[in-house]
Amino acid sequence: MSKYVERFQTPERVLHWIVTVSFFTLLLSGLGLYSRLFTGYFNLFGGGVNAILVHKTAGVIFFISSISLFLKHLKDITKFDDDDREWFKTQGGYLSKGESHFNIGKYNPGQKIFAVYIGIATMILGTTGLFIWFPLFFPRWLVQLSLMTHGLMFVGSIMFVIVHIYLATIGNPGTIDAMLYGTVRRKWAMKHHPKWYKEVSGGE
Amino acid sequence: MGENLNQATRKGFLVDSSRCIGCRACQVACKQWNKLPAEKTVNKGNIENPRDLTPVLYNRIKFIESVDGDKVSWKFFSERCLHCGEAGCIKVCPSPGALYRNSDGVVVFNKEKCISCKYCVSACPFNVPRYGEDDKVAKCDLCHSRITGGMVPACAKTCPTGCLTYGNRSALIAKAKAAKKTLYGETDLSGLGIVYAMDGSPEQFGLPATPSIPLSIFLWKDVIKPLGILGFWGSIGAMLLHYVTIGPKRIDDDDSDEKGVGHE
Repeated sequence: MSKYVERFQTPERVLHWIVTVSFFTLLLSGLGLYSRLFTGYFNLFGGGVNAILVHKTAGVIFFISSISLFLKHLKDITKFDDDDREWFKTQGGYLSKGESHFNIGKYNPGQKIFAVYIGIATMILGTTGLFIWFPLFFPRWLVQLSLMTHGLMFVGSIMFVIVHIYLATIGNPGTIDAMLYGTVRRKWAMKHHPKWYKEVSGGE
Repeated sequence: MGENLNQATRKGFLVDSSRCIGCRACQVACKQWNKLPAEKTVNKGNIENPRDLTPVLYNRIKFIESVDGDKVSWKFFSERCLHCGEAGCIKVCPSPGALYRNSDGVVVFNKEKCISCKYCVSACPFNVPRYGEDDKVAKCDLCHSRITGGMVPACAKTCPTGCLTYGNRSALIAKAKAAKKTLYGETDLSGLGIVYAMDGSPEQFGLPATPSIPLSIFLWKDVIKPLGILGFWGSIGAMLLHYVTIGPKRIDDDDSDEKGVGHE
């Protein structure tokens, strides 16, 4: 028996990396627009005009890919069962050193909340982004509200993403394998997602 | 946002609306000095013309028509950039040097630095900045090119009635107060560069009674922006703290090291 079990198929991983790359492109090209404190980031793109162009292009790519990823996961991330409620009671054991065991399916509740947030944020960032893109075609109050909301949703997103990257890399060793190779070690699956592991390994 | 505004030496306009005769010489002088082309306009049954500021019309006289029985009367309003002491456009402009305050305290622009984001359109309390075919900001800059050379702005130079007076802002205000005029823009937004002596209420002239930077723009720049930077570094700090205190969830088995555990 192989030491590994498949967690994500290749198309899904490619989609995820498109989301990742476009997200960081949006971050870097948007920083100078967020505040004059970060005006130096415009230089990465050869000035503010190009940064805006890159931001718009990456925005379209991010919107399409992120929404696709969200819809692909929709069934798995919007249902919370009793085991998930158990997880919530102790924050998944992340706030204590001891061993903790939860009967978690493919995604734990934290991952579900992250996925739902990013899905909603993508829709809001995309919509407000469109208003900001063509400010002269929309009422001034709507563009003003969009500028504020775009900033707010970005702040929420970057904070969530920092936690996401931590938990998917050094916070939970072995997790990144799922996105790099598509497979994870059986021990990892048994520890983090026992209910899902039973399903995919035929209930041993 | 780090604006260096010296109230004592600040230059500005006093616009005495009771003196305006609606001749619109100011509109023409502005077009001439700033080399702005004429535009086709539409007649809507009122001699007000044009009907709005455009990318090639930096100032205009707004005709406020009122009918009382068989008598028609007008009030005239010189509409233009008001050169706010606390300028929303400068506050949101992400491109240093595109919109800035010159040494006379006047809000001026540089099209070459403008990156066409149009944030200034949203942030202006008076809906003044316009974008034309060049996709760059355009508005009254009180004839930046003239006043830096010690000359009077073209509109004020040409005004035949003394409705538009250019000079030291506080001196103009003192003079108007001595003449018992009701002023608009003396203190709002750290004082407007254009102060109006009005024969009527601000609302009659289509102005907000107490002008301010739009609320969502204020929240964006003064609340969300600083809190966001705090949130960013706070999140990174929290993750690092978690890593060294509670630590990662490691899998205890023999091969955990060969897979590069603990490396990013």
